[in-house]
Amino acid sequence: MTAFYTGTDHFAVLPALLLALFGCAVLLFEFVLPVGMASRRALAALTLAGEGFTAYSLYRQHSYLSSQGWPALTAFQGAVTIDGLALAFNWMFLAAAGLAALISYRYLETEGEHSGEYYGLLLFAQFGMFFLASGTDLIVQFTGLETMALSFYVLVGFLRGRRRSNEAALKYFVLGVLSSGLILYGFSVLYGISGSTKLSAVAGAVAGRGAGDPLIWLAVATLGAGLFFKIAAAPFHMWAPDAYDGGPTPVVAYLSVASKAAAFVLLLRLFLGPLAAAREAWQGLTVMVALASLAVGTIAALSQDNVKRLLAYSSIAHGGYVLLGLVAGNARGLQGIVVYLLTYVFMNTGAFLVLVLLRRGEAEGNHIDDLSGLMRRSPAAAVLMLLFLLSLGGLPPSSGFIAKYYIFLALVESGHYALAAVGAIFAAAGLYYYFRLVKTMFGGRELAGEPLAASMGTRVAMVSTAVVTLGLGLYPEPLLQLALLPVKP
Amino acid sequence: MEGRLLSLILLTPLAGVLLLLLTPGGNRRLIKLMANLAGVAGFLVTIPLMMNFKAGTRGYQFTERLPWIPSLGVEYALGVDGISLLLVALTALAGALAILCSWGAVEERLKEFYALLLLQQAGMMGVFLATDFFLFYFCWELVLIPMYFIIGMWGGERRLYAAIKFVLYTVLGSVLMLLGILALYWQHFQQTGIYSFDIVKLMQVTLPPGTEHWIFWAFFIGFAIKVPMFPFHTWLPDAHVEAPTAGSVILAAVLLKMGTYGFVRFSLPLLPNASADRTVVRVIAVLSLIAILYGALVSLMQKDWKRLVAYSSVSHMGFCTLGIFALNHAGIAGSALQQVNHGISTSMLFLLVGIIYERRHTREIAQYGGLAHAMPGFAKVFAFAVFSSAGLPLLNGFIGEFTILQGVFAANRTWAAFAVMGVVLGAAYLLWLYQRTMLGAVTREENRGVADLTPREWLTFLPLMAWALWIGLYPKPFFDVLDAPVRAILERVAVR
Amino acid sequence: MLHPVGTGHYLVLSLALLLVGILGVLTRRNLVIVLMSVELILNAVNINLIAFSKHTGNLAGQVFAIFVITLAVAEAAVGLGLLIALFRNRETTSADEVNLLRW
Repeated sequence: MTAFYTGTDHFAVLPALLLALFGCAVLLFEFVLPVGMASRRALAALTLAGEGFTAYSLYRQHSYLSSQGWPALTAFQGAVTIDGLALAFNWMFLAAAGLAALISYRYLETEGEHSGEYYGLLLFAQFGMFFLASGTDLIVQFTGLETMALSFYVLVGFLRGRRRSNEAALKYFVLGVLSSGLILYGFSVLYGISGSTKLSAVAGAVAGRGAGDPLIWLAVATLGAGLFFKIAAAPFHMWAPDAYDGGPTPVVAYLSVASKAAAFVLLLRLFLGPLAAAREAWQGLTVMVALASLAVGTIAALSQDNVKRLLAYSSIAHGGYVLLGLVAGNARGLQGIVVYLLTYVFMNTGAFLVLVLLRRGEAEGNHIDDLSGLMRRSPAAAVLMLLFLLSLGGLPPSSGFIAKYYIFLALVESGHYALAAVGAIFAAAGLYYYFRLVKTMFGGRELAGEPLAASMGTRVAMVSTAVVTLGLGLYPEPLLQLALLPVKP
Repeated sequence: MEGRLLSLILLTPLAGVLLLLLTPGGNRRLIKLMANLAGVAGFLVTIPLMMNFKAGTRGYQFTERLPWIPSLGVEYALGVDGISLLLVALTALAGALAILCSWGAVEERLKEFYALLLLQQAGMMGVFLATDFFLFYFCWELVLIPMYFIIGMWGGERRLYAAIKFVLYTVLGSVLMLLGILALYWQHFQQTGIYSFDIVKLMQVTLPPGTEHWIFWAFFIGFAIKVPMFPFHTWLPDAHVEAPTAGSVILAAVLLKMGTYGFVRFSLPLLPNASADRTVVRVIAVLSLIAILYGALVSLMQKDWKRLVAYSSVSHMGFCTLGIFALNHAGIAGSALQQVNHGISTSMLFLLVGIIYERRHTREIAQYGGLAHAMPGFAKVFAFAVFSSAGLPLLNGFIGEFTILQGVFAANRTWAAFAVMGVVLGAAYLLWLYQRTMLGAVTREENRGVADLTPREWLTFLPLMAWALWIGLYPKPFFDVLDAPVRAILERVAVR
Repeated sequence: MLHPVGTGHYLVLSLALLLVGILGVLTRRNLVIVLMSVELILNAVNINLIAFSKHTGNLAGQVFAIFVITLAVAEAAVGLGLLIALFRNRETTSADEVNLLRW
């Protein structure tokens, strides 16, 4: 008889347990503490403490696995697996959530919507992502997906008094539950062909049937459609610009990097796991979606005047690049995906962070004109934004260059020269809209108004995103070591 | 210091950037002094390199090698041979002069301006010093951003348009080039099992012919846009016209050379079969000839002084690419030298336009006439620059063009005939420009009181004029330096 | 003579429900009906899970179905919550009037 809850199980899910614990603690403390600024600070601090403890438990897993030569640590009879892939993505989620928590405080104060639920939901979303990255059982993955998604629906609509936020949340919700339903339907088909919810068992059944089987095709179609929704890949991207536009900016920063990465890790677990045997069934579909995302993201971003919408379309294009890594299908492609998403966490959060800085008083800070003359008003913010935009555009010496470099290398190594060329051309075209922002910041007319003030948390987040973005561009070796984890034997 | 000399050359401008950022912002004079100090230091550190360089030695000298990104086999690897030595010297001089010539021209945001110039200088040095293809590409792209800002923030009226055009063109070329680099790198890995970007190691790859051609054209787009070859040249006039003088000088003297340098350093030795392919050579030769003649004819028609000089660059760079793809000793060596010559003479022309624009705030040729009366010194320097650029004997341009023509004649007489027409047209538009602006009676009252060259301005021209005379009178040391690397390239390309 | 109802029939039924649900989400304008269409999709999944569970004799599918039912409740709660928030600001449940953000 197998033990119900062993020490290994505990070790494996401890980060998630901590997240849940601190999430609940935040909710509870909000109830207990008196209303006021000091309490709100305490809640933010408690959230960060939770991230700190989670980081430590992840670090312990990391050092344990590295001392053992990277075995896959399975827990709960194979329902949860801690391996290189899980760890690499969990570090990403941790970074994204930590940064989001840091930049939220001032923003929420400005919006007058500060409360503990916000931080609780932030942690619960990360809890869900943990199980997306490390779940190897359909039920666990499904639970993780929904925990994350439900938290995000509420977070996007967190500015209750604002119609834009309400509408964004509703649109995101409707399309989100539709995609969840599709994914779930795919899960049910996978369960049907294997009679088990364990990915390892599903893999055997899929391999037995082959790519031509109609049930496999049904599973791939529904899972693909659902997951492409979640990563906002064209033509399933319609929700993203609205959700980004209407949602609270720190949430959008978190959503754009973490939720995308989480959907990607689920995609990897499924498509490179059980469905790897049916590659022919999804390869063509993925190529089409990747190219469509590049085209739609790049072309639509050219005409955006709202910076958040612009970043939303840019995020769609970035999703296209990451998908190209999946298309390459080799070890380098998998590394490329990890490198790309990890650098994306920092550069994209950084870009949103500058938008958070611009949100003050009545100024929305989303329109491209709000960036006008930023160089004179606040040189530090302008230079940082420049760095993030260069990184998003994929120019050295920023980490974004290394990310694109890896994707192109993976495509070249797997012989997809034409795809690499198309990706390269879109990369060059994409620079146009990033440089439109640069032009406004450095060349535009200076806006009246006091210099931007940054809270302590925002400053920490600014410095860390900038240091990582520039540092990994100049010396990417540590990043590449982390990206090697998923392919270590 | 011997072992780390190239790093010193690379890092001195960056130290200058740091120095500038630490300088207090209020004192404009101090900032200018600091920037000039950094520029001069950047030049001075290249002197030991030139003193100790051993002409006639095969391979790279002063090599340095440090692991940078071990998982990809990327190394921080530096080295110089004769071809890069000349361009390093040119970069150091042009960098220092670009800073010096901005003393009176730039008064806004001094710190940022000079810091960007120095940053760019470091990037350009990296391009010419790198012997690792990844490092080369890294520096190649690094040059882009400072230039965007130099044009976009301190440029003329249509500066933003010109700057973004410059960036988009160059990036489009360079991302395709990156794919070529990656394909080469991957082929090397498959054949040797080693990940490396070392250009000496990459030469050992034997490529299937189809792949080699694809890689060649990928490189070609990257380099041709930078040169710029016809029909990729349209960014150049805009960028030159809108850029401040310092930007134009750097663009003309160094940035364009990155393209021709790329052909000589990478396309020819790494892809010898594709480079020596008859069709390829013919296509490139024809494009070069079109650039020579078209550039000259368009220059002839220009009403804008600076635009004229910009189009003359297209024409002159056509000689360089034509010489390279003559694929013989005279052609390649002449082209390598002509790159320096073009850097010297076009820098002078741009500096002169900058000076006159500072005084009169117009670049329209029709606004001038008889300037020689008011500015005798200026007229003398201008005459020198025109003669140098038009290829008058005893000056540098003659040596370069003559050697190239010699090489081209040996390769194909028809091409040589067309190229000679380009030389004639070149003399025509330059001398006509001189006549319209400098000679004759003073037609406009405003031109009467224009001040002549100041001592500081003289100072910017003296080193350039000295160098031009040196090459024109005694070019042997330069050809000695170029001999060994050119032979090495020809050994590769001659294989067929 | 009646054919016995087999797993295939359930699969067809669930597919039909799925399609109806998707169509409903994408075409209906009333947000309450959209929410109901989502329930249809989830129930299509449930039918699949139970049918497959019966077919393969593995109980995990039925457990899964219970999870899905729980999820459906949570989703409905969140969805209605968002709808109420919007209603307070706007007084409508029609998707046509949710128009501040252009597509």
